[in-house]
Amino acid sequence: MPQLNPEFFVSQLFWLVVTFSFLFVFLWRVSLPRISNVLEKRERKINEDLSAAKELQVEASKIQETIENQLKQARADASEMIKSSSISLQDKAQVELHKLDKELEAKIDESAKAIEDSKNELVSQIQEQVHEITKLTISKVATFNVTDDEIKKAVSKTEGSIN
Amino acid sequence: MAAKDSPLKQFEIVPYSNTELGSYDISFTNSSLSMVITVAVITLFLTLTVNPRSIIPSRMQLISELMYNFIAQLLSDTVGDNGKKYFPFVFSLFMFVLIGNMVGMVPYQFTFTSHIIVTFALAAVVFIGVTILGFVNHGIKFFTFFYIPGVPFYMHPLLIPIEVISYLSRPISLSVRLFANMLAGHTLLKVFAGFVVAMPFFTGALPLAFIVALTGLEILIAFLQAYVFAILTCLYINDAYHLH
Repeated sequence: MPQLNPEFFVSQLFWLVVTFSFLFVFLWRVSLPRISNVLEKRERKINEDLSAAKELQVEASKIQETIENQLKQARADASEMIKSSSISLQDKAQVELHKLDKELEAKIDESAKAIEDSKNELVSQIQEQVHEITKLTISKVATFNVTDDEIKKAVSKTEGSIN
Repeated sequence: MAAKDSPLKQFEIVPYSNTELGSYDISFTNSSLSMVITVAVITLFLTLTVNPRSIIPSRMQLISELMYNFIAQLLSDTVGDNGKKYFPFVFSLFMFVLIGNMVGMVPYQFTFTSHIIVTFALAAVVFIGVTILGFVNHGIKFFTFFYIPGVPFYMHPLLIPIEVISYLSRPISLSVRLFANMLAGHTLLKVFAGFVVAMPFFTGALPLAFIVALTGLEILIAFLQAYVFAILTCLYINDAYHLH
């Protein structure tokens, strides 16, 4: 077995020491610091980004809070406005209605009065005509004269039935 | 079977140069070349894929970062905060073994992790380092590591030698595990490759299919053994901090 041939033991050991020492020193001094630098840099960057993100999140939640507060305020204002305006509208409507009622009542009174007046006039006209007719009839039919006062009296007795 | 067709031939070391340092032969061999390729692949990949200015990684950079995080996670899971100091070493060890195994999976490439001397040297570094660490952290109290509390006193004469032996066999088990896995896997591949040639007509397709499946398994083992090597190193470091 060539492995047990001591002929090249020293040579192999020598070259092992040379190559491995070089590898060790090179990795220790050059390659590994490079890699660890990159890793640290990335770690730092990630941490920075994370903290920045956290800060932004806090800011965002603050903004959201103010927006919510403003919305709440606006909603409260709006309902307040609606309430007050509906109350004032109701009041106004009440006043208008009242006014209208009064006007209508006055008109009704006026009309009633006018009707009464015209009725009275009509009644007096009818009485007059009845008086005339009665006088004419009596003068044509009867042989006696009747005074106006007597006729008036008789006609006024019928007044209740005309009404 | 002739020597040139042996499935073990792939483990032979071929020197490319004839260099001597003092009285020692330090020739550049196919094993050395494999190590150099491994180190070049690791350093180039980890350096070129990582752009230090990019927060969002490219796919290649993500691979490097995943490897980094994989070992960092492993170390923090097993050792905790004390483990950060040893991260470059454990990472280098893991990458060296992993890419060494993977380079060995390339056809005609030499697998240096299949040589016991290499794996034993790596394991010995871990073992000696961890033992020194234990003495630095606990001083003479480190020897209480072999004393298991809560056991009947008459068991100690038996248990303490067992503990000492198991501690001393750590580098052996650590190195033999990796070496044997690589040796067995690559030998098996070559044996089946020999069957492909040796079998008549188209029946050679059967061992060929087997080689394809085995290659997948070997890649899994290459990763697994590197992982085992790294996690055991972590556990030994942890032992050096917390004796029991």
